[in-house]
Amino acid sequence: MSDSDSDLDRAAAGEDLPVDYSSIEKSLADLWRGQKADDEHAVTRAALWNVVAHTATTNEHATASEVLGRASVAVPQRTIVIRADPSGDPHMASWISANCHLIGGGKQVCSEEISIVASGDRIHRVPPLVNALLIPDMPVAVWWIGDLPGEHENYVESLLEPADRLIVDSVHFDSPADLALISRIAERTTTAPADLNWVRLEEWRTATASVFDAPALRSRLKSIRRVRLIAGTSTDGESAYFGESVESLFFASWLSTQAGHHVDRDGRVEGQSGSIEYAFERRHQATDVGGIAFAEIVFDDGTCASISRDRDRGILTANVDGTVTTPESVTRAMGRGTDDLIVRMLKRPEGDRIFVKVISVAARMAKRVVS
Amino acid sequence: MSAVAPTIEPNPLREGLEQERVPDASCLVIFGASGDLTHRKLLPALYSLAHDGLLPAGQTIIGFSRPDYTDEAFRMDVREACNKHARTRPVDDAVWENFAKGLFYVRGDFGDPGAYLRLKEKLAECDRTRGTGGRRIYYLAVPPNFFSTICEFLGAEGMVNDPERNGPFTRAIIEKPFGHDLESARELNRVAVSTFRERQVFRIDHYLGKETVQNLLVLRFANGIFEPFWNRQYIDHVQFTVAESIGVEKRGSYFDSAGITRDIVQNHLLQLVSLFAMEPPVAFEANAVRDEKVKVIRALREFPKGSENEFAVRGQYTAGSVLGEKAPGYLQEENVKPGSRTETFSALKLFVDNWRWADVPFYIRAGKRLPKRVTDISIHFRPAPYPLFNKGTTLRTQPNVLAIRIQPDEGISLKFDSKVPGPSVRTAPVSMEFRYATSFGAEPPEAYERLLLETMLGDSTLFARRDEVETAWAWLDPLLNAWAADTKGPDPYPAGTWGPDSADALIERDGRKWRRP
Repeated sequence: MSDSDSDLDRAAAGEDLPVDYSSIEKSLADLWRGQKADDEHAVTRAALWNVVAHTATTNEHATASEVLGRASVAVPQRTIVIRADPSGDPHMASWISANCHLIGGGKQVCSEEISIVASGDRIHRVPPLVNALLIPDMPVAVWWIGDLPGEHENYVESLLEPADRLIVDSVHFDSPADLALISRIAERTTTAPADLNWVRLEEWRTATASVFDAPALRSRLKSIRRVRLIAGTSTDGESAYFGESVESLFFASWLSTQAGHHVDRDGRVEGQSGSIEYAFERRHQATDVGGIAFAEIVFDDGTCASISRDRDRGILTANVDGTVTTPESVTRAMGRGTDDLIVRMLKRPEGDRIFVKVISVAARMAKRVVS
Repeated sequence: MSAVAPTIEPNPLREGLEQERVPDASCLVIFGASGDLTHRKLLPALYSLAHDGLLPAGQTIIGFSRPDYTDEAFRMDVREACNKHARTRPVDDAVWENFAKGLFYVRGDFGDPGAYLRLKEKLAECDRTRGTGGRRIYYLAVPPNFFSTICEFLGAEGMVNDPERNGPFTRAIIEKPFGHDLESARELNRVAVSTFRERQVFRIDHYLGKETVQNLLVLRFANGIFEPFWNRQYIDHVQFTVAESIGVEKRGSYFDSAGITRDIVQNHLLQLVSLFAMEPPVAFEANAVRDEKVKVIRALREFPKGSENEFAVRGQYTAGSVLGEKAPGYLQEENVKPGSRTETFSALKLFVDNWRWADVPFYIRAGKRLPKRVTDISIHFRPAPYPLFNKGTTLRTQPNVLAIRIQPDEGISLKFDSKVPGPSVRTAPVSMEFRYATSFGAEPPEAYERLLLETMLGDSTLFARRDEVETAWAWLDPLLNAWAADTKGPDPYPAGTWGPDSADALIERDGRKWRRP
């Protein structure tokens, strides 16, 4: 067995192989060259995406590596995990590994993973290095872990420059300004924003859409009078972290957008028959923090439809005019693990046009949440 | 002037959701609910749709057959079938709870008027309790000889709604075989359209529900690079292979009366040929796609009378071994008539006589007890015009081959020549591969899942139309008649080989070879 064979075996087993950051691509090529063409336990490299994860701490780095390792089973990718610490001593290091899984017949499919750690002024070397490591002709997603940065603008811009998709998780946003920033990125760049919080909401959107699938109820979309939403938060009342209310804010913004309501710059909503009241409430809960706990839609004639989570069965149930239903289409809770959310996001070849509409409405409506 | 059903505005909240298209809840009645197809394919497919959240609230399934089941016993039976055969097995309790609420059973003979009254009552009850609104799908998972009886009763009992009038939809799904020859196909179609309108009839050829078959259209019409050379100028010939490693299993009686040409070539293989060779449709819409497909079948060159064997060979397997296991000969199989001359293998050379494909041979073959189970299409391109490389050696540059693997291990590969590393310029063929399993990870849905959902949505793009079926029979009938009149019978081939020697001769006469799939 040659050295490169053993490197491949070690990498395929998930071991990190330290490499010089100036020759990462060559090290990867050497690694795969060790693969024998007639190997009965053939290892295949695959990639549909370049996924760049930006982290700030060792813990975040480990989490990103683990999550993307799992996601690569469903969406093969070249993963590049960056850990940048602008305040540390100048330093840079890198290593490579592989995320492999069996596909039958003893064959393995592997996604390459590259880790780059930089601190001090060396962080500015990272964006060009990442650019050089992207597989050509494959889309690029940048997953920004944690709150969006308020400084090192050039660094952020150059990292996002090749990105087709920017993945964030608005549950970590500390103010409405973050929503406005994402909205600006959508308007002014070719990078399509994507939000894990928005993907989490799909279950609620599907349940709500199911309620209005019935032709008799569809016409009632035009007569929404009041919408009440309760967000599950880690603390009670006004002290709750902003990000924990964003999912319900997105729900409200989505409902308004799709029902054709007008939302002004102060977040006031007008429908066809007058103003529509949106009430955002918070409820302390130990699990599903940041998720919607309850949604109620009241119509002009006083009737209402509500959706809530049946915690025992882990499903959403709808109550329309007093009749409780659990539509087949929402009986199964959609996966809420971060890797599930990322996979769902990357399986959409195009940016989410509805999210782009919703984010700008949410940036305006956010005033209703924080006020 | 006919009345037009009122259109309902689409639900704006569905926009952008994964489940952008959700059918309206309906009652799906399965005639032949105790049959093998229902247990192995239909019910597991319906459960998997429910599991993936693709069924509408209130979707109802009513089994109709002779055994005396209660609703509860039927549900237990369905659960067992789903646990054995569903793509999304084992059964998930939360999904099952809701799915089972929509399962009902009506006992009856297909010829018993009382059974249809009981069915009618059950349907009315489901409309009241499950919101199915009079929408009906009748799945005829029964042998063709029952079609007429079932259709007549459904019509007589007023259980079919005419789409020309306002009201909920009624659709009928028919399983192959769509006849035994042109005459019987016409008769079946006559029966179907005496009760339903053509646009209410969904003829299932499950090959059309396979992801890779649908991908054939995507490959051709979503990629700019392929279409320019998808014609006689660049393509030397095309091979289609549908190989099965198994024998006739428990279908001996049916198969012996049909043969592989009726069982596979008339439907699956001609569907593949027509999708491969069709012109771009004006839209990805049922009639636009099927119009183009039927044009291909119409353009198939007739077999020259008296010289059929120059274009078609048939074989029958004898004892041998497949995948290391001993296999009996066809005549030793259960329910096969002694001395049967039914073909278990056929290979045809056909031509699509139109502007695009003039004189490009399409070699198609289908067989049982072949070395492995595989379905693929290989496109063999014309060689480079001048041999620039490998001079002074016996090496020859190889023609490029684009291979589309339908099953198993679905994918696409392209064979091309590359320079062998070293100081001299030598070439060797290499392969560039795309595999579904590698790139997309997730297991694709079963063909029946897709086709059942399309029926609920009322989209018949992936179903065979009457004229497709009849045109295919009209082309194939003369060959089948010639074979029936030929005293020679099929050529023998040992189980576990790629068919009789005459199949090799068929293609080798043209200076070509079958590709090993």
